[in-house]
Amino acid sequence: MSNKLFLLPALVSAPSQNGVGRYVGQLQRVVLKFCKNNGSSRGMRDFIESGLVNFAKENPGVVVYLKPRRHRSPIIKAEYLNGDTQWMSVRNFPQEEILKWLTLLNTQAQCHNGQRLRRLWFTEHPSIQGPWTPYTFRDPSLNLVSFPIEELAQPKDLPKSSEEELLELFKKQKLQEVESKRAE
Amino acid sequence: MSALKRVQQWATFARIWHLYDAAWQNPFDSAQVIKKHLMGLHKPIYHTMSQCGDVVVVINSADIALPGDEWKKRVYFHHTGYPGGASWTLAWELHEKDPTMVLKKAVYNSMDGNIQRRYTMQRLLIFPDSNVPKDILENISNQLRPLRKVPKRLDHYPEKEVKEFPKIIDYPKDYIVK
Amino acid sequence: MSLCRPTFSLLRKCIGQNLYNLRLSDSRSIKRWVSPTLRELKRRRDRIGPEPERPRSSFLEWNYEAEVYAFGKRLGEEFDKNLLKRALIQREYANKQEFAAREKGLPTPEMLHNYELIQEGSKIISKVIIDEYEKLYPQDIVKAVHEYLTTEDMLSHVGKHIGLKDLVLTNEFPVVNETLSNTFKAVVAALKQSQNLERAELFVKDFLLSQMNGKDVYEIWDPKNPYEYLMKLLNDKGISEVEPRLCNQSAVNTILANYQIGLYSNKKLLGIGWGENVEVAKETAAIDAIQRLFRNYVPKQ
Repeated sequence: MSNKLFLLPALVSAPSQNGVGRYVGQLQRVVLKFCKNNGSSRGMRDFIESGLVNFAKENPGVVVYLKPRRHRSPIIKAEYLNGDTQWMSVRNFPQEEILKWLTLLNTQAQCHNGQRLRRLWFTEHPSIQGPWTPYTFRDPSLNLVSFPIEELAQPKDLPKSSEEELLELFKKQKLQEVESKRAE
Repeated sequence: MSALKRVQQWATFARIWHLYDAAWQNPFDSAQVIKKHLMGLHKPIYHTMSQCGDVVVVINSADIALPGDEWKKRVYFHHTGYPGGASWTLAWELHEKDPTMVLKKAVYNSMDGNIQRRYTMQRLLIFPDSNVPKDILENISNQLRPLRKVPKRLDHYPEKEVKEFPKIIDYPKDYIVK
Repeated sequence: MSLCRPTFSLLRKCIGQNLYNLRLSDSRSIKRWVSPTLRELKRRRDRIGPEPERPRSSFLEWNYEAEVYAFGKRLGEEFDKNLLKRALIQREYANKQEFAAREKGLPTPEMLHNYELIQEGSKIISKVIIDEYEKLYPQDIVKAVHEYLTTEDMLSHVGKHIGLKDLVLTNEFPVVNETLSNTFKAVVAALKQSQNLERAELFVKDFLLSQMNGKDVYEIWDPKNPYEYLMKLLNDKGISEVEPRLCNQSAVNTILANYQIGLYSNKKLLGIGWGENVEVAKETAAIDAIQRLFRNYVPKQ
């Protein structure tokens, strides 16, 4: 019914703690296969003529291979440092789009095809104060009693009953008597 | 997993045994409180799939109080499956036969729709009076407060307090009580 | 009968026309034979087994010089090309090449291998780890961390994620963990010789020490008898009496029993621990106490 039932759940991660020390671009090499004649490779051929050299100069850590193959669709195959390969068909793509996709492959850390990210954050230490235990907010005086206890035998925070109101009135009355006696 | 992480997990998911005194309590309201603790809904680590519920030991279930006419009018239906196997049992009749059943059914029916209720009910121990086996008593480490106020018998109050309690009216001094 | 025939033919024409109007366009569907063919191909592919793994250098699109150049640039380091190439050649491979050349009668190619570089690199790595961790933790922990970080598995993991797996020249395929870890050490030494020791140390810090990110040091170091270890530490400090006290417990008569024990000395809390029985809880409390003590550890200068 929906794609996410078939995607493998994955957590956000940087391969081999990339970025903690220094950032290393994870794209190792890129293979551009194209046809020298067919129209579907036109965008690819235009890109190779115009934008590819710039791309290679700006990313000296990426090895670019060109493979002209007759009668085949143009393809970008990217290989990453952690061993992933990503195969992308760029049939009938204009050259700007090919550059866009190459930039994506370059900035990716791994191939996310077939994955759905469960959370966009990850931490090894989700709790600073320490995880909850049943003893975190437990009154330690309960350790010294044997159950059942009288203190916990009545409900708490009930509305005032008529009995309690009576007692209060009585106490007030008594206090007034005492005060009037004092005044005398 | 390091030793510390393992015991941290063990502690976080530790099962607490609670005690609940059902004397003078409405079983259907009590069922809401008990069910919460049985399912683990009172814990911040609650999740449906992790069985994080606690055990509740109920005592004095023979002394429960049903509201109004319910003892006479509440009916428990049972069908054996065989023709002519329908039976309608009144609450007082059921209570006579088994003084724990009314509360047990109250808790069970409060979890209607919950697939895990059969497993959750395994964590509920009901005793008709306060005779609880020693090893179960030793496990208990918490008591749940009741919902209704339990009245105290007049002869359980100290004499002094009874005498000093404020009176609104009283018998005349020369009145002879029959 | 004679009247029926023209009406029949008329009817047929009408129905035919309507049906023609209803048919919108020719539909190109997936043919019946496609699915069984694909199934059979998959069956045959599975029967033969998976494709054997081939070294990347055996592909048509492979340029060793370019790969080596990109390796240095990707890591942000300037390597001396010959040194780096030397670091990637294993001793066995170099010997084999020499032997093969001698057999054929060709002049022996001068293949320098990475044996000395490995020794040098290993020393640099050890020094960096010990120097960094001695600032924060006592000797026992430093040793444990050093051992953990210099295992073959760890170094080969780092080496793989730098890109050494395809560049290394070895006799065996697929490349063994030992080779990768050795090559990593050799690369560190090559960097030191190309530039300076500082850069090499920074390199080790960035790639090897960063593997400790998110890891608790106490997951790696495991004192055998934590309580005795703690007593030793406290005796050095001058505290001789430690009182273990049961703080909390739950469900004691069941399998899921849980005890919380606190270690106190002179009414001050040293550490808390949990466990399925009192002994385990005591040991865990001891580990917690050790951790708290080491939190304020100041190395002797």
